[in-house]
Amino acid sequence: MLRKRNTIKQLQPLNRQNYIATAVLLFLYIISLPLAATEQGRQPVTKVTELIQHIDKLWRGNTSRANMTMTVKTRRYQRTMTMEAWSRGSEYSLVVIRQPIKDKGIATLKVKDNIWNYLPKINRVTKVPSSMMSGSWMGSHFTNDDLVKESTFEEDFSSRISFEGLRDGKKIYEITSIPKPDAAVVWGKVVMVIEQENLLPRYAVYYDEEGSLIRTMTFDQPRQLDARTVPMRLTLQPEDKPEESTVVIYNDIEFEVPLKDSFFSLQNLQRRR
Amino acid sequence: MTTAQPEFMSASVVSRFPILLFVAWRNIWRNPVRSSLTISALASGLIMVILYASLLEGMTRQMVHFATDISTSHMQVHRQAFIDDQDLYATLPWSYLEKIQQAHPSIQVSPRLYAAGLASSSTTSTGVLIKAVDPKTEPDVTQMLQHVRHGKLNLDIADTTENGVQRYNLVIGAQLARNMKVKPGDELVLVTQAADGSIGNALYRIAAVLKPLEPNFDRMGVLMSIEAYQQLMYLQDGFHELAIKVAEMKELASIQDTVANKLKQFAQEKSLDELGGKAVVRNWRQLSPAVADLLEMSKAFVFIIGFIIISLASLGMLNTMLMAVHERTHEFGILLAIGMKRRWLLLMVLLESFFLALVSAVVGSLLGLVINDYFEKYGIDFSSAMPDGYDWAGMIFEPVMKGYLLPADVFTASIMMIMITMLASLIPSWRTVRLKPAEVMR
Repeated sequence: MLRKRNTIKQLQPLNRQNYIATAVLLFLYIISLPLAATEQGRQPVTKVTELIQHIDKLWRGNTSRANMTMTVKTRRYQRTMTMEAWSRGSEYSLVVIRQPIKDKGIATLKVKDNIWNYLPKINRVTKVPSSMMSGSWMGSHFTNDDLVKESTFEEDFSSRISFEGLRDGKKIYEITSIPKPDAAVVWGKVVMVIEQENLLPRYAVYYDEEGSLIRTMTFDQPRQLDARTVPMRLTLQPEDKPEESTVVIYNDIEFEVPLKDSFFSLQNLQRRR
Repeated sequence: MTTAQPEFMSASVVSRFPILLFVAWRNIWRNPVRSSLTISALASGLIMVILYASLLEGMTRQMVHFATDISTSHMQVHRQAFIDDQDLYATLPWSYLEKIQQAHPSIQVSPRLYAAGLASSSTTSTGVLIKAVDPKTEPDVTQMLQHVRHGKLNLDIADTTENGVQRYNLVIGAQLARNMKVKPGDELVLVTQAADGSIGNALYRIAAVLKPLEPNFDRMGVLMSIEAYQQLMYLQDGFHELAIKVAEMKELASIQDTVANKLKQFAQEKSLDELGGKAVVRNWRQLSPAVADLLEMSKAFVFIIGFIIISLASLGMLNTMLMAVHERTHEFGILLAIGMKRRWLLLMVLLESFFLALVSAVVGSLLGLVINDYFEKYGIDFSSAMPDGYDWAGMIFEPVMKGYLLPADVFTASIMMIMITMLASLIPSWRTVRLKPAEVMR
């Protein structure tokens, strides 16, 4: 899927849908990378759970408001969008595109498993059908699966600390997540490395079912926000297209902003242009 | 007879042959019932082969018709990257359109563009394949736009909404219309990623629903004008596909060569961007190899089935001739005894078989033509069971199966029948050669 992102697939036109939702879901996704609860007995369960909970809330807190810039580089074009995003837990989020002018005001709302887009030019709200959730997301190098599966990552994967100690001069935790036998997921293995000192995620690598490396997500530019150190830049690098990438930079994040449930509604989606 | 042969030989053959012909013809009608039965068996076999060939040809014609006249046309030009993975950016420059047309005044050309998108009605959303054509030139190359089931075909601007958004008309595939529960007059929203990476979105009015063109379009096709496409996709540089229709099918190969050479020449004059690959021209057989294979196969089918039917019928012939020879062993013995050459005897028996086969061929062909006439006019109608026709091997067929008889098929079938029966008659005639006059006359 990832390989074909720059092409129109006649048979899978779903692939290129919804750039907007990409943005939201990307945001949501990043927030809860491979943080899975684990039932494994031979590791201290609490430690993995703690790490997961830490990273789960790293970019999000309970509620948040963020400004971010996403740059998608493909063989054909490079495109930068700035977005404003609000979230409440992992179930509610709203993203509004601020730049460029052409896409200004396009908004995406996610409530639980449902995604709606608001298109200001034609003044219509469209719902993204469930059939569109499985395919690669146009514009960026994220796949739909990432975006939708973020809320079910804990159910789909079992994680454990596979390495703990010194690597490249830093003390790190390495968390390996393997899909559970009956989980419908694309990845065969996800490995994430977190620094022990400040619990800062460094990178995550994704393997397919055959065990070959598909893509790498790198986290850098850490900044101290409230009590946590948050990486402000995320870079997704597909393995087969070295000249392409998607970079997300958080310009600022505010945590614990007061947001009512009604904020995440279709009415608000149309109102907020 | 060639002049190299001795004169007395040719003289004897020439002088005796008419007598042999006459005798053989008379011999057939010594037992008219038996000969008639043989002829009717062979003729029925031939009729079956002719009808089979006719129906199969009718089907393949329908297939070719759908493969060419409805949506593909005779040839298409694409960039390699578009062929490989539908690369949105793999376009041919607009200047090619005129240049290719000029290269061959007899051909008709029409450009097309493609994209993928998300279509939403007021109640549902689904992924669609967007196809854009030029409504002015498309009718020159295919009948796609005449293939309307409901509504009235129109790809112009429909109207303007209350907040000043222009709505273009578009037409959609029958299955898609059913799945989305939309009808002509309804509104459709299309969302896609435009060529510059922005989010293309626009409102449309469904003007018409098309009859099945090909299964893919039927299920997820949305057809609009190139103008509307360019406003949605911001893709101005060129087009993805050039459909070419030739005036005469037999010129297909030569025109394909010329177009291929022209494309090379254009690329040398002004090279295309590297990512899109080179421009490639393919004819409809290359574009739908499944159809081309089926056509080849159907020819082989006719031959094999025909061979089986006629072989079975010729067993009747074999039986007849064996009986005839057996009955006349005494007579043949006498002929041999009074000095008839064995090869003349052999020739006579073979001629008898030949006459039987010839009469069967004439009767079979004539009757076959008469019955075929009915098939060509009315066909076999499945429309009560399958009003939409049926799709098979990625092609859509009309529900009425009509015959189409090629004169060559009748000729080939007749020749094949005569050859098979002659082969079969070698057995009885060989028997006459081995007769011992002294024994059989006893």
